[in-house]
Amino acid sequence: MNKTISYSGMLWLLAAQFIVMLPFIMYLPWWLMPIMVAAVIWRLRVLKGYSAQPSSLVKTLLVTIGVGGLVMSGLPFPSLDIMLSVLLLGFAFKSLEVLTIRDAIIVIFLGYLLVALHFLYTQEMLAGLYGILGMTILTGALIGVQPSVTVLNPLQTVRSHLKLAALMLLQAAPLMLIVFFLAPRLPPLWSLPMMPGQTKTGISERMTPGDIADLTRSTELAFRVNFKSTRPKQSQLYWRGLTLNYFDGKTWQQLPEDYDFINFKNQVKGEYALNSRSVELRGDPIEYEALYAPSGQPWLFTLTPALNVEGEVSRVADYRVMANSINQAPILIKASSYPQSVRDLKLSHTLRRLASQLPLGSDPRTHELAQKWWRESGENVDQYIQLILGHFKREEFYYTLSPPLLGDQNTIDAFLFDSRKGFCSHYAGSFVFLMRAVGIPARVVVGYQGGKWNEQGKYLAVHQYDAHAWVEIWQPEIGWTEYDPTTAVAPSRITEGLDSFLEQQEGLLHQSFRAMQNNLPWLSSLTQQLDYLQYQWQRWIVGYDQDTQGNLLREWLGDFSVKNVIFALLGLFGGLALIWTVWLGLWKKPKLTVEQALVSQFDKVLAKQGFQRNPAQTMRDFIKQVSAKRPDLSQPLQQFAEYFEHYCYDPEANKTQTLKQLQQVLKILKRIKSTQLGRNIAPLRPSRISEG
Amino acid sequence: MLLPNAWEQRWQIWLDERLPAKNQHTFAQRSIFIIPSLSGLALLVLLSLLMILGINFQNSLIYVVCFWLLALFVLNVLYTYRNMAGVTIKALRIQPCFANSKAVIELEISRMPSRTHWNLVLEWPEQDQILIELASCQSTRITLSHLASKRGYFVPPRIKISTTYPTGLARAWSYFAPDLTGLVYPEPIKQDTPLASDGSAEIEGKVLAEGGSDFNEMRRYRAGDPIQRIHWAKYAQTGELYTKSFVDYASAAIWLDWNQLNIVGTERRLSALCAQVLEFSANQIPFGLKLPSKTIEPATGDSHRDQCLKALALHGLPYE
Repeated sequence: MNKTISYSGMLWLLAAQFIVMLPFIMYLPWWLMPIMVAAVIWRLRVLKGYSAQPSSLVKTLLVTIGVGGLVMSGLPFPSLDIMLSVLLLGFAFKSLEVLTIRDAIIVIFLGYLLVALHFLYTQEMLAGLYGILGMTILTGALIGVQPSVTVLNPLQTVRSHLKLAALMLLQAAPLMLIVFFLAPRLPPLWSLPMMPGQTKTGISERMTPGDIADLTRSTELAFRVNFKSTRPKQSQLYWRGLTLNYFDGKTWQQLPEDYDFINFKNQVKGEYALNSRSVELRGDPIEYEALYAPSGQPWLFTLTPALNVEGEVSRVADYRVMANSINQAPILIKASSYPQSVRDLKLSHTLRRLASQLPLGSDPRTHELAQKWWRESGENVDQYIQLILGHFKREEFYYTLSPPLLGDQNTIDAFLFDSRKGFCSHYAGSFVFLMRAVGIPARVVVGYQGGKWNEQGKYLAVHQYDAHAWVEIWQPEIGWTEYDPTTAVAPSRITEGLDSFLEQQEGLLHQSFRAMQNNLPWLSSLTQQLDYLQYQWQRWIVGYDQDTQGNLLREWLGDFSVKNVIFALLGLFGGLALIWTVWLGLWKKPKLTVEQALVSQFDKVLAKQGFQRNPAQTMRDFIKQVSAKRPDLSQPLQQFAEYFEHYCYDPEANKTQTLKQLQQVLKILKRIKSTQLGRNIAPLRPSRISEG
Repeated sequence: MLLPNAWEQRWQIWLDERLPAKNQHTFAQRSIFIIPSLSGLALLVLLSLLMILGINFQNSLIYVVCFWLLALFVLNVLYTYRNMAGVTIKALRIQPCFANSKAVIELEISRMPSRTHWNLVLEWPEQDQILIELASCQSTRITLSHLASKRGYFVPPRIKISTTYPTGLARAWSYFAPDLTGLVYPEPIKQDTPLASDGSAEIEGKVLAEGGSDFNEMRRYRAGDPIQRIHWAKYAQTGELYTKSFVDYASAAIWLDWNQLNIVGTERRLSALCAQVLEFSANQIPFGLKLPSKTIEPATGDSHRDQCLKALALHGLPYE
């Protein structure tokens, strides 16, 4: 058989390669793409006969350039990025020499692998849809490269293959879903090196108010919350992420030492771990379920203080909740928070020291101002705070997302006395500084504020642009209290959300999509619906893990009794088998045409009379032969032939009537007694032996 | 087959029982076998790799790809089965051939009106194969050839019919054993010395009716004479129609006599006789054939030739 693939098969392959490789340019070295395109174009030219098949020298050169480029690209080795790049290069170069069907199948299987590997970089719904496109094209290619007889023109062929591929994937989907939801989820078999594309999104562990932030403008989703109890007011939704204690004069960070995540986790013990006895529960709990988008960070965001947290999490002494591993896949937790509780009536020595640190000798003007106000307030903390907030409110302080730079030294002075323009970080940072300057323990809290209520899905969606920084201060007998100095400058930032605030203040986003959807109700409802879909996608597909599976199965089955499980499985697979047989048309026996049925009936009747028609013999010829031996059959046979021809070939024939007549003749033929005389003597035949 | 001999035999016996020889067969559940093809097995390897990736990275969408391909693999079996179920294969005839040449079987493949079939391969492994489709037509006639090594009856071995449509991940196949035999004439091997013996001289030169090989005379046109034989040149000269007439001569009834052959070995004798029969027939020389068990009177023509060849083919074999 011809093992080289056809022209349309080759086109299929190239299309599939292109579709599969395209999304990787966002994550891998950009120059991979031109190489791939060049390979594809070369291949096309070879197909068209414009270029020769690349010689092995050229191929070696290309591979050397490709591998050399990867070495120079500085991707860490070993890493998945580099493995994927090599895989992609091979995938591209393979197209230079694809000739046989076997090669084509290798390329297609590699393509399936790449479609799957792309999901290591993103599991967004759009990426999922793109994956379906990739799978469809690859399956079409798999069908297209099979050896086949060509009866259609190339375009029709491609269209029919594409249709078949899509149909097959659609029909396979129910089984895929059954397996997806029922297959047991195992824990990782071994620990892995760095994940590819481990980009961190969301809030940062460092805050440098003097640098310009662009975080606030990202429309990416951070997490969604489902409230089990009544939804708190917008102004109460302060989602704590982490606290920043150490200030070096320019940047705020968590601890004096700059820990990365793994090392930070090791610190969470002893004094740094949350002791539940330090909380005095007050008021009613807010119960909720939160689904966090993958962020590449371990931080989770909860209302303070979150207790009874279900999930793979640790809780830290500063009341933050963190995941036990870096958040690569959506993570779902359940928590109850008691916002009215009293926290840390006693503050440990270490924590107090952390919350009191200030850089030596920096910001003399701010120190002076703090001492002045502290005296004015009569050393009363509440008075003192009122003075500060009043100052922010009365004087010309502005809330802006593009504040001027503050230099490297005395940044607090520069903000409070000179620029007076800033966003939450500036206000929170200065506030904490002013507190510490008079000996009140204080720290910066970063996280998110507010969120957007989705009426359709009844959940709160918190986006990156809701990121926020506020403060908490500690007082004896009272414990920690949260303050948000930004409200003094821009109260609507908190009560109405950033969107409307920015719209009023700066007109910054008037051109942007977000501003547009606020003005167009239908667009707004559309985005809400899309967001709802995203939520379901994250919740049921991407975030489907062992816990979700357990809950789902308990909901469906009640309990896991053998009987229930067997019934459920039988129902599912039986239903699927039924759907498939009906859909594929396998349930009905292949039917004969009326003509075929008549001939087969006729042959049967005459076989009973002892006449076997040679399959190659025409009916007329056969009738002549039989009539010669059995004159008594001649008349009905002639009639049958006549009616039959009438039925098959006369366009004006009355089909039903002719059919009736034909059946009558057959009955007559059946009734005529076969005579011994007329029996054909079967010709002597050699017995069958397996060798010809 | 890679099976050991004993198993191979069992398999053949089982096949004979399962798929007895007949001239028409419609493939259905009982007669279709399906297993994953090589690329199907390769896909399973890929699936295990994807599974490991999915588990290790705890990545739901990799699971989805893995399970979707698995589902496709399973569904594909049904597609492949459907591509073969309902195909009717009918053996029409096997043309006679000579030993050591190809015996050709004519087959008719047809489908039910409600189904279409793509990429069916019919083959005699290592002999001949053909790729067909049954979508653009209701039925199609094909030929398949097989080396006939011995004279006598050619009993066609099982024809393998297989398909990997649509994705090549599974292979469905079955066998069709035609209940037909084909005559295999001896291999014609021409001898240098003539074989024929003249029976008696008196018939030599006797004119045998109106033949077609030798020019005899020119005579006046009679109604009914074939138009090709009109002598147009003469007509142009004389203005009258003349017909050229031809005759065959019975060149003294040549006999091909088995007992008078000066050749050793049955098969070699038959081969030599076969070649001679073909030569005489091609030249329209009347001849007769005398075999130990059979005598065929002198004559000419295709049916005479076939009769002689058949006698040669079956000489000494138990069928006749």
